[in-house]
Amino acid sequence: MLEVSALSFRYPGAAVPALENVSLTARAGEVLGLLGPNGAGKTTLIAHLSGLLAIQDGDISLDGQPLASLRARQPTRIAVAPQEYAFYPTLTVTENLACFAGVGGLSGTQARTRIAECLAFSQLERHVAVRADRLSGGLKRRLNLAIALLHRPELLLFDEPTVGVDPQSRAFLLDAVKALAAQGCAVIYTSHYMEEVEAIADRVVILDQGKVLRQGALSDLLGADATELQLAVAGEESGRLTALLSPFGHVTRQGDGVRLSLDARQDVAAVVAAVAAAGLEIRRMRYGHADLEQLFMALTKRSLRD
Amino acid sequence: MLLALMKKELLALSRDLHGMAALFLMPMVFIIVMSMALKDVYAPTTAHLTYAVLDQDQGKAAQELVARWQKERGAAQALPGDWRSEVRAGRLKYVLLIEHGFSSAVAEVGGTGHARARLFAEPGLDNGMFETHRVRLLAMVTQLRAEALLANLPDKIDLGELMGEVPAAAERMTSGARPSAVQQNVPAWLVFGMFFVVASIAGLFVEERSCGALARLRSLGVAPWQLILGKMLPYLWVNGIQAALMLAVGIWLMPLLGGDGLSLHGVHWGALVLMLLAISLAAVSLALAVASLVTTHAQAATLGPILNVLMAALGGIMVPLFVMPSVMQRIAAYSPMNWGLEGLLDVLLRGADVVGILPEVGRLCGFAAIMLVAAFALFRRQS
Repeated sequence: MLEVSALSFRYPGAAVPALENVSLTARAGEVLGLLGPNGAGKTTLIAHLSGLLAIQDGDISLDGQPLASLRARQPTRIAVAPQEYAFYPTLTVTENLACFAGVGGLSGTQARTRIAECLAFSQLERHVAVRADRLSGGLKRRLNLAIALLHRPELLLFDEPTVGVDPQSRAFLLDAVKALAAQGCAVIYTSHYMEEVEAIADRVVILDQGKVLRQGALSDLLGADATELQLAVAGEESGRLTALLSPFGHVTRQGDGVRLSLDARQDVAAVVAAVAAAGLEIRRMRYGHADLEQLFMALTKRSLRD
Repeated sequence: MLLALMKKELLALSRDLHGMAALFLMPMVFIIVMSMALKDVYAPTTAHLTYAVLDQDQGKAAQELVARWQKERGAAQALPGDWRSEVRAGRLKYVLLIEHGFSSAVAEVGGTGHARARLFAEPGLDNGMFETHRVRLLAMVTQLRAEALLANLPDKIDLGELMGEVPAAAERMTSGARPSAVQQNVPAWLVFGMFFVVASIAGLFVEERSCGALARLRSLGVAPWQLILGKMLPYLWVNGIQAALMLAVGIWLMPLLGGDGLSLHGVHWGALVLMLLAISLAAVSLALAVASLVTTHAQAATLGPILNVLMAALGGIMVPLFVMPSVMQRIAAYSPMNWGLEGLLDVLLRGADVVGILPEVGRLCGFAAIMLVAAFALFRRQS
């Protein structure tokens, strides 16, 4: 479907490139989670895909055709649901949809039908005559989604689509994104909310300082760190616990407990047995793969970004 | 695509109450207020000045002068006790004082001017008005003196017969309407109002850019020229509606409010439409250039009106060109609003046809072309 190959881009006057040798693939029917701290290059990548930036170096193709020529012929095959409320605040929900439908070439019955479908999908039917600036944050996000769907895009780019919405709207939007992928769309989804990406992404690309740090199926990425044990025991026993667990692998203090990276030969059952034998009472224990946030923080480090 | 862009533009404008007021209400209010306020500048009502007469002479010639003066200027007020303070304070516009001995001085051969008819005007009386009264008094007394001197001749001569028609006349070189406050103010504030599209277009453009709608339009394949055309065409219509409304105010509303009515008698309609179109092109193109230049709402809300007011002040909109000194008149020649105003005055007052307004149309279209190129370049740079 979408193939980004060795894409590099440097803004005029910038000391470092915004994107450096970025390659990734988005497939039909899949959600690709695009993660990265501020300044990682996500927005630059999305600007390329939505046709707002010309390619300096590298290639982007959709179904084997260069993106630029494809966009010139069929600009509506790719749609963006941007971070901002990308619609006209003084126009009503229907007027906004009619405007963007007309701009994309829909007219007459075709436009009316498609607008009705998108209103239904985004559950905005009760708000058709409301001015966009008078909608709640959640409804605004749903309008953003409805506009993006107008032209039945094959590739959908969601840029932080759940910022500032209540949990109900967030759940609705996430379900909608999953449903779109299930219908055969290729979806690229960027968010700072790791649990969202973990919940809906099939594959993940982690980007930082313009470079791809890691990419692959979510299960593979998280499974790679599947030998970590987090443990906390009753009382002030962290010191004893550290000493007790050292033979099993590398131990680090973590809050009121410890984090143990098990050596390859060691078994978690043996660790639990050792703790029980030492008479320590386990208060909290977690074993298995790390979550996406841990992986993300480990890869991108903790230093603050601009 | 273009239709959707145009419809969006008009819908957004119709929801912008301040923008609508600036485009339609403001020029209308200016036309009404300024036409009423400046009515007397174009048609001074000299008969309305309050005055009194102090006839110290009481002779025949003095009485004749008072009678003729009152016939022209209306009845005099009763002379207040302290008339000098009344005149100084402006409560009485002037006093006609006829000094003792005036009647004999009028008939005196080789007069010494020892007794005169004198006009004492209040300090604030307009210069033109003062001169008109002074000259009129001079003419009346000269007439009285001629009559008195001829009456003393041995052979009686009828002065009316002797003088006949005075061989002098003055008239305005106009084929249509005579100049009036309305005839000047309708085109002036119409041009001003038409250029106010700058604020509306720039405001919406900034909003479009900051909320991401512009990026969405671009990602849907809208080219810069389509975006610019999508803004230009609706505002040409808006300017057209403004023109129709302001002309209607001049023709129908002003007479109802007690002012002069705008007359389109003898106007070349083709020239009027062409002139309005040229002004509109210049205004909308300037608006697009400003819209592409500014990046914030604050800039849009201030730069447009400042430009408009400056161009209006320099261009003869706020102060008619003919009262400006020559230096200011030369500066005014560089203001697009002045080109528009002069073109409209050519059509509405001087009976110009299409050929007659081509210089102004040419200047406005040239200005529009430069602004459009600037708008396009700025837009491309920003995006």
